[in-house]
Amino acid sequence: MLTYIIRRLLHMIPILFGVACLVFLLFTAVGEDPVRVTLGEHATPEAVELLRAKWGLDQSLPKQFLDFLGQIVTFDYGRSYNTDDRIVDMFNQGALVSLSITGPPFVIGTILNLIIAVTIAYYRGSKFDRYSTVVFVAAMSVSYLVYIIGFQYLLAFKADLFEINGYAHGLESIPFLLLPWLITIVVTAGPDIRMFRTVFLDETKSDYVRTAHAKGTSEPKILLVHIMKNAMIPILTYTVNAIPFLLLGSFVMERFFSIPGLGDMMITALNNGDFPVIKAMTMMIALAFSVFNLLTDILYAWVDPRIKLS
Amino acid sequence: MVISRKWLTILATTALVSGLGGCTKNKDSETKADGSKPKIFNYLRTAAHKSLDPAKQFDAASAQIVSNVYDTLLQYDYLARPYKLVPGLVEKMPEKQKDGLTYIFTLRKGVVFHDDECFKDKKGRELTSDDAIYTIKRFADANVNVKSYMLIAGFVEGLDAFREQTKKLGIKKTDYTKLDVTGLRKIDNYSFSVKFNRENPLAFFPFAFSGMSIVPKEAVEKYGDDFAKNPVGTGPFYIKEYSRRGKMILAKNTKYFGTYPSEGSAEDKAAGLLADSGKKIPFLDEVHLPLIEEPQPAMLKFLKGEIHWIGMNKDDFSRMAEKDKAGKFILNAEYAKKFNMYTEPGLYAGFLRFNLNNQLVGKNKALRQAFAYALNTGKWIELMRNGRGKALKTIVPHPIAGSENDIDFEYYTQNIEMAKKKLAEAGYPGGKGLPVITIDYRSSNKDTRQDFEFVRNELAAVGIKVKANFQTFSAFLKRVESGNFQIIDAAWGADFPDGENFYQLLYGPNKIPGPNSSNFANKKYDELYEKSRFMENGQERFKLFKEMSEIVKEEVPLILRYNYLGFGLMQKNVRNLKRNMMVEDPYKYLNLGPEGKVSH
Repeated sequence: MLTYIIRRLLHMIPILFGVACLVFLLFTAVGEDPVRVTLGEHATPEAVELLRAKWGLDQSLPKQFLDFLGQIVTFDYGRSYNTDDRIVDMFNQGALVSLSITGPPFVIGTILNLIIAVTIAYYRGSKFDRYSTVVFVAAMSVSYLVYIIGFQYLLAFKADLFEINGYAHGLESIPFLLLPWLITIVVTAGPDIRMFRTVFLDETKSDYVRTAHAKGTSEPKILLVHIMKNAMIPILTYTVNAIPFLLLGSFVMERFFSIPGLGDMMITALNNGDFPVIKAMTMMIALAFSVFNLLTDILYAWVDPRIKLS
Repeated sequence: MVISRKWLTILATTALVSGLGGCTKNKDSETKADGSKPKIFNYLRTAAHKSLDPAKQFDAASAQIVSNVYDTLLQYDYLARPYKLVPGLVEKMPEKQKDGLTYIFTLRKGVVFHDDECFKDKKGRELTSDDAIYTIKRFADANVNVKSYMLIAGFVEGLDAFREQTKKLGIKKTDYTKLDVTGLRKIDNYSFSVKFNRENPLAFFPFAFSGMSIVPKEAVEKYGDDFAKNPVGTGPFYIKEYSRRGKMILAKNTKYFGTYPSEGSAEDKAAGLLADSGKKIPFLDEVHLPLIEEPQPAMLKFLKGEIHWIGMNKDDFSRMAEKDKAGKFILNAEYAKKFNMYTEPGLYAGFLRFNLNNQLVGKNKALRQAFAYALNTGKWIELMRNGRGKALKTIVPHPIAGSENDIDFEYYTQNIEMAKKKLAEAGYPGGKGLPVITIDYRSSNKDTRQDFEFVRNELAAVGIKVKANFQTFSAFLKRVESGNFQIIDAAWGADFPDGENFYQLLYGPNKIPGPNSSNFANKKYDELYEKSRFMENGQERFKLFKEMSEIVKEEVPLILRYNYLGFGLMQKNVRNLKRNMMVEDPYKYLNLGPEGKVSH
C-alpha cells in the first residue's frame, strides 16, 4: 500500500508540471494583458513600463516560468496584481468561506439523496419510481442560475423566509447560508438521486442478490446491507471526486449571495487578468484533484477487500 | 413514533434557524449611549476595492472608501453646477503670488488624523504642511504611483525631475527629505507654496483627486506594504470593519472639521437640499457597505428596504420609470409611492472615432460626413438606451462649463438625402464600389451587439456596408495602439470637469498612443486648443471652443453621440442626496429622516 501511495505521489509531479506549462502558456500567450487591463485606455508608456517592471513581466519568459515553478514548490505565490494581498492569505480566508457554503449541503444532500435513491430503488418499477424519475429529470433540466434567481426572489424577497444575500463570520453566517444550502441540495438532488438509483438497480441484478432472495433474506436487508455495500464503490468515486469542487466553492452562488469565497475570487481574478491568483488557484485545483483521486483509490481497497493496491 | 420524531426535528431546526435569522435582522437596532438610535446608512459596493492607499488606487471601488476616509486639499462643491473647486483641507482657495505662478496653500488649523497605533499614544496628531508636502512627493514617486501621475505631470516646477530621480533610486524606500522639489516650499506648519510651470487653472484639479489625499508619514512607514489595508486619514469616517469582499463598515469621525454647504440654487432649496446648511458633518453614524456585485439581489434588497440608495440599470429603468408629458423622467405610480428618483447627466462623451491615418475613411472627408448624416443619434438613445441620455452637439458633456449650454452650436442631425449626396461626393454613389468598413468594439456583450445592429441598419439605408469586430478589452487596446483600425466605438469620462479634458482628445500631438486615437492633425484646431488650454472659463474661451467644434463638425474625425443620464433610487427617508459626478460617494453630506422602512 505504501509503495503504491509513493508511486502515485511521484506520478503527480509530471501531471502538475504539465498543468503548470499549460497554465503559463495559456495566460502568457493568449490571456488578457494584465498591465493594460489595470491601466485601461490611453495609459502612458511610462505607466505601462513601470507596472511591467513592478510585476516582473519585463523579465524573459523562461525566467518568468522558472519563477512560477519556484512558487509551486514553495507554495508561495506572492501577491495579487489586483489587490496586492498575499495570495496564501487570500486562499486561507476564501477556502473556509467556500467550504461553509458547499460543505454542509454536500453532506446533508448526499445522505438525503442516498436515502431517497434507496427508497426509489426499493419501489422500483412502481408509479412512485416513474413519477420521481420525471420530477428529477425535469429538475435537472433547469439551469442552476434559474434556481438562484427564482429562490432568491420567491423565498427571500417575497416570502421573507431567508436573507436575500450577505455574509457574516462564525455562527452569524448561518442565516445567510441557509438559502444557498437549500438551493445546492435541490440542484444536486436530481443528478445524485438518478445516479445512485441506477447504481442500486444495477446491483439488484447481481447473482448475490438472487442468492440472498433464494435464502429468504428480507428485501430491506438485501437493499441496505448487501446492495448498499457493493454500490459504495461507484458512489465513492462520484462523491470523493466532488470534494475538490467544495473547496473551490461555487462562483455563481458566491456572486449572487455576496459570499466572499474562492469561486468569486477566481472569477474576479480572471476578469482582471490577475495572473498570480489564477496560477495559484489552477495549481491548487490540479493538486486537489490528484490527491483526491489517490484517496478514492485507497477508499476502494477499504470498501472492497478484493481490491489490492500494489 | 418515528414520524413524530422527524417532525419534531424539523420544527426544532426551523426554530433555531428563525432565531438566528432574527438575531441578524435586529442587529442594526442597537442604541447609542444617549439612548438615540444610530443613523446607519446602508449602501453597497458593486466591486471590491483594489487599494486603500490613495496614491496607488485609480479605480472607482477604491475611491469609494478613500474619498470618505481621507481628505484632499481642495474638493468639489457638492451642490454647485457646473462643477467647481472649493477649499478642502485648506482654509481658503490658494492665493496667487506676484510672479503669477506661485500659490500659497494655507491649511485649516486643528484638523487631526484618526486615532491610530502609528501615532504617539495612539492619538491622531494635527495635520501640518509637512504632511501635504510629503503626500505630493509620494504621489510623484514612481515607485509608489504608477497609475495616475499623468494628472499632474508637467504642472509643478521640479516635480517631474523628482519623479525621474525616484525611478533611478528604484523601489527601495526613498527619503523624501533628501530629494528636493523646487516648486514645493514649506512656509510654516500650516502653509506651503506650490510653484507651477506656467499660469494654469487646470493645475488645481489634481489637488482634489482622491489619489492625492493627505496621508501621514508615520502610517506609511509603520504599515509598509499593508498601508493599503490600514488607512489613516483626516476624513469624515474611519474604517470600523475592514473586509475587501465582505461588508465594510465606516464609522463617523466625531472630530471632523467639515460643515454642510450653505449655498445652493433655488432648485436645491426647493428640493430640501439646504435644510442642513452650515451644520457640522457627517450626520451619519455608520455607513454599511457590503459587496454586492450582481444587480438582481441588490435591487431586491433595495425593494425590501434593506439598502437606502441604488443606481438603476437599463432593465430596472424600463420596469420602474417613464417619461411624463413634459418629457421629464418620473417613477411610475407603484414605485413613486415608495421611493424617490434622481437624474443627473454624466461627465461622459460617447462617439464613433475614425482613424484618419486609414487610407479609406481617413482620407475622404465626404465619406465621414456621409456617416454623420446617416446616423440618427436621438433614435439610438431612445431605442438602445431607453432615452437615458442626451445627444451631444459638442465634445464637452453638458454639466461642464463650455458645453453646448454655453455656446450656440448645432451638430449633425439625420439627413438621408445629404448622406447619399455626400456618399456620391466621396466617390461612392449609392455605396457602389465602397468596401465594407469595419467597426471595432471593446466587448462582445448583448448591448454592444445590439448597438452595432442599429448602426449597421442605419448606414445600410444610405448604401454604406459595415461589419463589426467584437473583441476583448486588451485586444481592442492593442488594435487601437497599432493604428490598425478604421472606426472604433469610443468614449471618454472626465478626469476633471473642464472642457480642455475633452478637446485634448483631438489635439495633434496627443495622437496614438495618446488620447487622440483618431490621429487627427489640424493646424488651426491645434492652435485654438493651445490658446484655450490654460485660459479661465469665460466667453473668450468659449468662443475658441466653438471654433474648435466647427472644425470637428466639418472634418468629422469622430461622430459625436451621447452623454448618459445617470438614474438612481433612494428610500423616502434619505436626505441631502444630490448626485454629483465628482463626489460620487457623498456620505459625509447625507442624512436620514424619520420615515421609511430602513430609517434608524
